Amino acid sequence: MRLKAWISFCLAILLFALLPAVIRSEYLLNLLLMFFLYVIVAQSWNLLGGFTGQVSLGHSAFFGTGALITRLLWTAGVPIVPALIAGSLSSVVLAVLVGVPCLRMRSAYFPIGTLALAMIAQITVANLFPLPGSLSSGYLTGYSMLSRYYLALVVAVLTVAVVYWIVRSRTGLALVGIRDDEAAAEAMGVRTFKHKVFALMVSSLLVGLGGGIFAYHQVSYYYYAPFELSWSFLPTLTTFIGGLGTITGPILGAACFLGLSELFAISLGEVHLVVFAATFILVVLFVPGGLMSISARINNFTMKLMRRIPGNPADHGADP
Amino acid sequence: MGQTLVYGFLNGALYGIIALGIALVFGVMRYLNLAQGSLIILGAYGILFLFHIGIDPFASMPLIAFLLFLLGGALFKVSFSRLIMLPETGRIKNSLLISFGLMLLIDNLATLLWTGDERSITPTYSGLTLGLFGLRFPLIGCVGVLSALVIIVALHTFLARTYFGKSIMAVSQDYEAASLLGVNVNFICLVSFAISVGLASIPSVLIGLKSFSPTVGIQWFNKGIIVVMLSGIGNINGVFPAGLLLGIMEAISVYIFGAPYREVTGLVVFVLVMVLFPKGLFKRQEL
Repeated sequence: MRLKAWISFCLAILLFALLPAVIRSEYLLNLLLMFFLYVIVAQSWNLLGGFTGQVSLGHSAFFGTGALITRLLWTAGVPIVPALIAGSLSSVVLAVLVGVPCLRMRSAYFPIGTLALAMIAQITVANLFPLPGSLSSGYLTGYSMLSRYYLALVVAVLTVAVVYWIVRSRTGLALVGIRDDEAAAEAMGVRTFKHKVFALMVSSLLVGLGGGIFAYHQVSYYYYAPFELSWSFLPTLTTFIGGLGTITGPILGAACFLGLSELFAISLGEVHLVVFAATFILVVLFVPGGLMSISARINNFTMKLMRRIPGNPADHGADP
Repeated sequence: MGQTLVYGFLNGALYGIIALGIALVFGVMRYLNLAQGSLIILGAYGILFLFHIGIDPFASMPLIAFLLFLLGGALFKVSFSRLIMLPETGRIKNSLLISFGLMLLIDNLATLLWTGDERSITPTYSGLTLGLFGLRFPLIGCVGVLSALVIIVALHTFLARTYFGKSIMAVSQDYEAASLLGVNVNFICLVSFAISVGLASIPSVLIGLKSFSPTVGIQWFNKGIIVVMLSGIGNINGVFPAGLLLGIMEAISVYIFGAPYREVTGLVVFVLVMVLFPKGLFKRQEL
């Protein structure tokens, strides 16, 4: 099973890497890039919200900081990769400065505290940089969609790999322990606060990289655009709907979100958000595992049905 | 300076009323209703609709209050009632998530139905001001303060004097003991949730007379939650002074840092209070 997952993961990367050779349409490449961006944001959120149980509504602040610093450095003449790294590091700095006090609050208030931070960041940046940042002509002539595409792909793969690696490690076990029962984890000798800070830092680092990709990709945008609260709501929605605390869940959720928004983009503005919000409520109430758990549920159900049929091999699976 | 303080005071009263609905639900059930601001905006659209038919905003308030009350009851029945069996942390977290979805749902539905344009209800008296001690007092703001006082006194009397109100307080103090003593906890929770949503109709009018759009719900929720945190969780009596405090703090910050950072002040205070005084500033007894 593990091998199968590995192979399909590698095949998917290969497929995405080869796609630009086949697809010439700018629109589709753009769409795929947005998909990678959503995967980065959702997966990094998942490390904190899904695996550690600290639901953050403040990821837009980290995303925006990554975007802001990357953009400012890049347009000042720094090559993109160092600018990207500087941007994501600055979002880690922000996370340590302001996110860590939020972790000091009672865990139930963490979402509200981070939401307040995201709003502070948005208003402040909108006041400091009221004008849109456009690329100068020198940057525009050198603009190539392919380099953006591959950079986004690399960061997305990196994000998924890092989250997978952390979750499989001993640290990941501690994080899941904190999510399931913080007091019990503490009693077992897990340093819960230290682990939560670690998860927050890694999460903000990855989402900061995502912000950098946003800054590298967009030709012209208001500096506060990546700080908008929708960048906090998006990973929460997609991860919950896809499947909280699974590696595939956020990817699935991001794909659904993008597909639905494209489907409705032609007809009406925000219908996809209405659909997603309603689905979100249903998922929280009835299907805590999200889409990922649905196949397991169906499997369970069919297994139960099969058991009812006498002489079925599923009947004797347990005792050979 | 004096004029700024007057505006801060009047805004503070509005924050106090917004916080009242949030504080009631939070005190009784430990539910955090992130959608309260959006429900207020929904009410404002209702009042705007009735205003276009020719009904005065203050006259249509009871009707809107009743409709929101029913909506609140329905929302509780459909979604929030499922969380009542969870422990406290689980209740806060899950109610927050559900109301977060609800907020997005209401905001985006409102955008679809009424577009994202900024609206405002403009009866003939909306610009009137009273002059007193050389300061200007906008009429509507004064009505806001008056209605806030009336509602707070009424709610306090209801909670402290009537049998039903006492059962609400009992549930908020000890859920299990109340149910052992024969209080119908589920029904109490249903009614208090519905009341808190119904209370949204007063800020609906006051905000409707200023200006509103589908996406500002979260900002008004923020004012409310800041006030609730300042006053201390479950402390309904502290809500009004805490609201005034926030309003005046904002006014002073506008005086010092300029208008754009008005929103930031409250949020910074909020985060500081959450980190430094998790029990609130006006906390008297444990609820």
